Amino acid sequence: MSWAGTIYALSTGIVWIAFTCFVVVALRNLVALAQLLIAAWVFLTRVKPGDGARDLWHRYADLALPISVIAPAFNEQLSIVQSVKALLALEYPEHEIIVVNDGSKDDTLGELLRSFDMYEAQATQIAALQHTKILGTYRSRRYPNLLVVDKENGRKADAANAGIGFARTPLVCIIDADSIIEPDGLLRAAEPFMYDDRLIAVGGAIRIANGCTIKDGSLQKIGIAKEMVPRFQIVEYLRAFLMNRVANAHTNTLTLISGAFGLFRRSTLVEMGGYRHDTVGEDLELVVRMHRFMRDNRREYRIAFVPDIVCWTEAPAALQGLDNQRARWQQGALETLQHHRGMIGNPRYGRIGLLALPQIVLEDILGPPAELLGYLVLPAAALLGLLDPMMAVAFFFVSVVFGCVLSVGTLVLEEQQLKRTPSARDLLRIGMAAVVENFGYRQINLWYRLNGMRRFFRKDSTWAAVPRAGFTSA
Amino acid sequence: MSFYQDIVVTTALCAGAITIVFLALVLRRYLSERNRARRDERDAAITRSYLQRVAGHKVSEADTWPRRARLKAISRILPLLRGGERTRLLQIAELDGVLRETLRISHSLYRSSRINAIQSMQQFGSEACIGRLREMMASDRSPRVRLEAAFALGANGALPPPRETLRLLNALCRQPTRLDIALLRSAAPLYPEQMLLLLEDELQDAWRVQIIDALGWSDNMGAIDTLDKASNDPDPEIRCAVMRASARLGHPAARRWIMIGLTDPVPAVRLQAIGASVRLGLRKAVPAIAQLRHDPELWVRLRAEQALEQLEPVDDVTPQAAPVA
Repeated sequence: MSWAGTIYALSTGIVWIAFTCFVVVALRNLVALAQLLIAAWVFLTRVKPGDGARDLWHRYADLALPISVIAPAFNEQLSIVQSVKALLALEYPEHEIIVVNDGSKDDTLGELLRSFDMYEAQATQIAALQHTKILGTYRSRRYPNLLVVDKENGRKADAANAGIGFARTPLVCIIDADSIIEPDGLLRAAEPFMYDDRLIAVGGAIRIANGCTIKDGSLQKIGIAKEMVPRFQIVEYLRAFLMNRVANAHTNTLTLISGAFGLFRRSTLVEMGGYRHDTVGEDLELVVRMHRFMRDNRREYRIAFVPDIVCWTEAPAALQGLDNQRARWQQGALETLQHHRGMIGNPRYGRIGLLALPQIVLEDILGPPAELLGYLVLPAAALLGLLDPMMAVAFFFVSVVFGCVLSVGTLVLEEQQLKRTPSARDLLRIGMAAVVENFGYRQINLWYRLNGMRRFFRKDSTWAAVPRAGFTSA
Repeated sequence: MSFYQDIVVTTALCAGAITIVFLALVLRRYLSERNRARRDERDAAITRSYLQRVAGHKVSEADTWPRRARLKAISRILPLLRGGERTRLLQIAELDGVLRETLRISHSLYRSSRINAIQSMQQFGSEACIGRLREMMASDRSPRVRLEAAFALGANGALPPPRETLRLLNALCRQPTRLDIALLRSAAPLYPEQMLLLLEDELQDAWRVQIIDALGWSDNMGAIDTLDKASNDPDPEIRCAVMRASARLGHPAARRWIMIGLTDPVPAVRLQAIGASVRLGLRKAVPAIAQLRHDPELWVRLRAEQALEQLEPVDDVTPQAAPVA
């Protein structure tokens, strides 16, 4: 091939790459815009949570399905007692707390045994879903609805599976031990189960607790963190929960229920064998497998989402910690897509195969590299005269400016419908974070996600805990 | 303009529009926070004024108070008042036309608005509210709204007779839901005789089960003969409902069929019988429940173990010493 031919082929390649990046990013944002509009419609037409039916559930408590709250705990010595007290105090007619001590190296178990006056009990495990050995089970003399399961270390999925095995109630709520559940979070999340017997899982909105005042494991005062990284994550969580999940649940394409809070029908989980142990994204994998299981078995089912806040969780306070978390999420998404690749684009799986999973492909496989590549290739191609410079400007608008539109749009939804931001000043701060995150933070996140892809291809299964700064105490 | 210019302009317009909306919301919030002290003062004055009027004192009424603020104040006071005071407050509220807005919204075209209005009316439960709720339950075009209205009436002890409730909700042509069960239980103490009459109708077994279950909530000991008869029904679901209703009613005669229920061939009935024994504190059932610890059904065994812990004196169950980690 001549020099001119090589140059021509190279320039054609660059132009094609630029076009592909542009189309992928534009498509991604169009999907997000559609989600924002659907979410706005859902919020505008929804019935606000009231005391109507709830008053009757209080009178006829046996009609509310009993729930086992499963809290896997690993090295939670400092906070476990307060967390369990808060869980015991949750507002619900009948709920049991199952704390699974996942082979903690610290004195998590001792703290529990001493603080709740526990004795060794021979609790029967109904289904052994865990891969590790159960070392003992303990009941409290003071709280009959508290069970502690002590087991060998095996990560969160294994600990949750052990807890599911001990649950006797029709519903199980799987949380992180440091999740702060709203006092009426269980009631709100369980309400859809009372209307619809086909429901197998319900997710709820989760918010960032950094900057909030926490006392005895309960949220005392909502606040905003001083650092920018948690503020950016507030915007991300708002986009994920108020826009993405609300819209997906409305279109029956919900594929993710957060590991920090998820309510599931126990019998379905047991039938499916619980969480998978060989993935770092067990929460996404579980819900996708649920869809697969129900559709393969031709059963009618529904997975719902409650847009009201049910749970608060601590987010990484700095980039160190966020890098691991985001890489893990990305790796988990890729592992899930690999496990269930047969569902992608498969009409047999209905909207999940045709809409939800292709959306994850667009969001998690094509999106990050396309956007990052676009930032480099489009301006370069424009400078070399290969592309209309206006296209590079349009790419900037489609990716960055449109990103701001979506984030601020979600904030508008939040303020109009939920109003859980403490003050006008805080609202403005988050608004500014919604704009600023598009200049730097967003791109850093794309880099972390590429790292997640690298870990996926290297089959790296190491798991690093996300460093926590702890809560502000009252 | 080129295609890319169109994209840039459209995105910029979207960004501008959403920013203006957001800033307007921030401003609204800011003004609301700035006026909080004044608003709190006004709300306290409204509350004070209503409490004085309820007690029959003379007040210098300020007509400028907005209706919404009055409604909010009354919502706050209402749960604190009982009996005559509550009735007087509701009458005053109706005379002031405080609920006019809520009643107007209850005619809204939007289903969600009508349901939100129902929730307000449920909280008030005044004569005008009950009247409007009955109207909505009878004639609203949305089944969900009719159901919500029924719930609101149920919460205020104002449900129509069960046959009418079921007809208005078009319930008998479908399977009963948990909401239907709650409604039947609400109706049972109001219309105990009509619940028994309902059982004489040609009904699907699923509905018969729920009506029998609701009898337990009727506080009508006259239902015990019906429960006795139903305890021999060939349908295990009905026998389960008998156990639940008997436990709730607490009539001593029920002990006989609860004891029989502990040896029922259907595990679900045995489970319910164990539950009924615990609820009634039936220590006579302890040997039979102890036998059920060896039941072939896992859930029966687990429930039996739990029941024995609850029925036997604490000394009988010796927990092992807690190891100190």
